[in-house]
Amino acid sequence: MQIELPLLRYFQLNRRDRGTPIVPARSVTGRTLVLLIAIMTFLSCVTLGAVVLVQKSALAWSQDVGRELTIQIRPIEGEVMESNLRTAVALAEATPGVAAARALSIEETQKLLEPWLGAGVDLGAIDIPRLVVVELSDPAEADTDKLAKDLAVVKGASLDTHAAWRQQLNAMAGTIVASGLLVLSLIVAATALAIVFATRGTMASNREIVGVLHFIGASNTFIAGEFQDRFLTIGFRGGLLGGVGAFLFFSLIGVAAGSVMPGAAGQQLGVLFGRFALGVDGIIGILAVVPVIAALTAITSRITVRRFLQRIAS
Amino acid sequence: MIEFSNVGLRYGQGPEILRDLTFRIEPGSFHFLTGPSGSGKTSLLKLLLLSLKPTRGEVTLFGKSTSALNQDELLEMRRHIGIVFQEFRLLDHLTTFENVALPLRVLGQPESSYRANVIELLEWVGLGHRLNAHPPVLSGGEKQRAAIARAVIGRPDILLADEPTGNVDPELSLRLVRLFAELNKMGTTIILATHELPLLESFPFPRMMLDNGEVRFAD
Repeated sequence: MQIELPLLRYFQLNRRDRGTPIVPARSVTGRTLVLLIAIMTFLSCVTLGAVVLVQKSALAWSQDVGRELTIQIRPIEGEVMESNLRTAVALAEATPGVAAARALSIEETQKLLEPWLGAGVDLGAIDIPRLVVVELSDPAEADTDKLAKDLAVVKGASLDTHAAWRQQLNAMAGTIVASGLLVLSLIVAATALAIVFATRGTMASNREIVGVLHFIGASNTFIAGEFQDRFLTIGFRGGLLGGVGAFLFFSLIGVAAGSVMPGAAGQQLGVLFGRFALGVDGIIGILAVVPVIAALTAITSRITVRRFLQRIAS
Repeated sequence: MIEFSNVGLRYGQGPEILRDLTFRIEPGSFHFLTGPSGSGKTSLLKLLLLSLKPTRGEVTLFGKSTSALNQDELLEMRRHIGIVFQEFRLLDHLTTFENVALPLRVLGQPESSYRANVIELLEWVGLGHRLNAHPPVLSGGEKQRAAIARAVIGRPDILLADEPTGNVDPELSLRLVRLFAELNKMGTTIILATHELPLLESFPFPRMMLDNGEVRFAD
C-alpha cells in the first residue's frame, strides 16, 4: 500500500509536469547541506524538548508547592504546644479555600530533622518547633491573609506560604527557558547562515544556467523558484532526518532513565526532572520543527538567490 | 524596429568600445555584423539583447526607448529577441527537446501546450531524431541547430547570432546561414555577427561593419 501525503503529491505532480529540474541536483551541495540541516534540526529539537521539560517540571513543582501552606509554631515558655496546635488546625480549617489541616506528630517532625541531625538522636529533651500542614482546595481562593491575621492569637505561630521559594523556582525555570530559546534562535541563525553560504556557492557554480535563463527571458522570480525548489527538498530531507534522530534520542533517554534507575530512585528523578517522555505535545513539537526548518531553508535560499540576481542586474 | 542614436559604450573607466553609433534597422531585414576581432561585435549584440546599457546615447527597440525600462518591461522586451551564441550555451543536463522548450517553460506554459510545436521545429532543423539526446553527445552542427531552435521557439521578432558558425565546418556554416535566411523569409529580423569572408560572399545580405568602435553600412 502506498501512502500519499497531499504535500508530497503536490511536489510529485508539479515536478512531473515540469520535466527535468533546471537546476541539476548534483550541482547543489546536497549531501553536506542535508547533513548540516539534520544536525541543526536535531539540536533544535533537543533544545526545544529540554525547554519544554524544564517548563513542565517547574510548573508542576510550583503548582504542588502552591497547594500547601505550613504553619510553624515555635515553643514559648508558658504556652501549651498541643493546645496551640489544635487552635492553629481549627483556624486553618475555618479559612476559606482550605481543604484540610493536620499537625505533624513529634515522630514526623523528628523524621524531617533526620537529614540534618542524623538518625537515632533523642529529641525528646529539646523543645523543637512544630508544624501544621495546610492543604488548599483552591490556591486562588484561599484567604491566606485572613489566616495569617487569625494566627496572631497563637503565640509563636508563623505562616509560610512558600512564596519566596516558588518565586525563586519560577525565576530559575524562566532563566533556563530563556537560555534555551536563545540557544534555539542561535541555532536557527546559524542554519540560515549556512544556507546562505551554500546557496551562494550553488549560484556561483550554476552561473552559466542563470545566464542562459536570463537571456531566454526568465524572470528573477522564476529563477529563484527553481533554486528554492532544490533547497526545499534538501531542507525537508535534513529536517526529517534530524527530527527522527531527536525522536529516537528522547525515546532512548526515556528507556535508559527507566532502566538505569528503576523503582524509587527513578520515581524521585521523575518527580525532580519530570519524565523523559516526549508525550503527544513533544512529538507534535518535533514534527513542527521539520517543516519550519524546510521552510527556513527554502525562504533563505530564495532571498539569497534574489539578492544575487539583483546584484547581477545592477 | 531598431534605432541607435549616438550610442557609446565603455566598460568601467576604460576607453570607448563603441562610439557614436547612429543607425536604424528595418523590420524583416537581414544584416551581417562584421569586423575584426575585438571591434565590439559582441558588445553591440549585448546592447541589442539589453544585457548591457549604453554609457551614452539612446537605444530604441520596437519604437520604445530602452533607457528607462523597469525590470518587467525589460523582461517583456527581451522575450521578443532570440539569441544564438558561438559556444551554443545549451544546458548539458537537459535533453535537446527540453533545451529547445526552455523559453516556453520559463513562461510557465505546460509541456502539453508546446510539445507538438517543439517537435515540429526540431524536425525542421533536422533534429527530429535527437529529441532525447543530451548536448554532450550531439555534434557541433547539431548543437548549433538546437541552439537556433531554442532561439526561435518563442517566435522572436529579432534574432541575434554571435558567430554562430564559429565552431562548425564551412559546409555546415553555409547550411546554418541558409536556416537563418529561411527564418528571415518568415519575417524575423536577423543580425548575424561573423568575420568569415566566404559566408559574407555567399549571401547577398547587407553588412554592418564595425571598425575602431564605429559602424559603417555596405551592401
